[in-house]
Amino acid sequence: MSLQTLILCRRAPYGSALAREGLEAALASAAMDQIPDLLFSGDGIFQLLDNQAPEEIQQKSLLRNLQALPLFGVERIHICQQSLNRRGIGVDAIALPGLELTLVEDTGALIARYQHVLSF
Amino acid sequence: MKFSLVVYSAPHAGESAATALRFAQAVARQGHQLLRVFFYADGVHNGSALPAPPQDEQNLLRPWQLLQRETGVELVVCIAAAQRRGVLSQSEAKRLERPAANLAEGFELGGLGQLADASAHSDRLVTFGGPA
Repeated sequence: MSLQTLILCRRAPYGSALAREGLEAALASAAMDQIPDLLFSGDGIFQLLDNQAPEEIQQKSLLRNLQALPLFGVERIHICQQSLNRRGIGVDAIALPGLELTLVEDTGALIARYQHVLSF
Repeated sequence: MKFSLVVYSAPHAGESAATALRFAQAVARQGHQLLRVFFYADGVHNGSALPAPPQDEQNLLRPWQLLQRETGVELVVCIAAAQRRGVLSQSEAKRLERPAANLAEGFELGGLGQLADASAHSDRLVTFGGPA
């Protein structure tokens, strides 16, 4: 049996409203007791970086949404290893207490395991 | 088979919203069940009653409303995304003290829980207008 829902986060945090709206969809789903898995890939990994200063551009930080994930039962997020490599970002630049980070080499195989994928 | 759709694109910003409509029509025509269309992000603009495109250009609103009447599909506009973008029902306009309401007939405002619910209760969930 395939897993229920994967939420795919592919957008940089403040360049597209879909970044925030994807996390909001993840939280809403978890609040309904349908805890989704999340995969951050492409520019989506920028959502996870420590030391963001969105207030400089009058934006609201996405970190609060990410920090809320464990409170809603999401304990683990998947991160595309290749996306990190391509952007020269080490996993040590990501600090999210309460979330276990799983690096994924073969994102295609991961995605294929899910019944539904919501891409943001 | 039971389908639900998710639409992220505004009606005239690209082809996605029109493709979603045609897909929804095809699903119904082929005898499948169309449970819900969830309009999210810029897709909430599909639920506005106000667009007035030139007469020789396509208007997606009427076909959505017709499909809703014919099939009973739920056309759900995400309330949080709609508030950000100014798509309001009468009661929301009043509650938020805005000068006008524009949610089109046949559409309803709903929460993100309805997206999770569509995901749980559909055999296929198809997204239109997501990231390229």
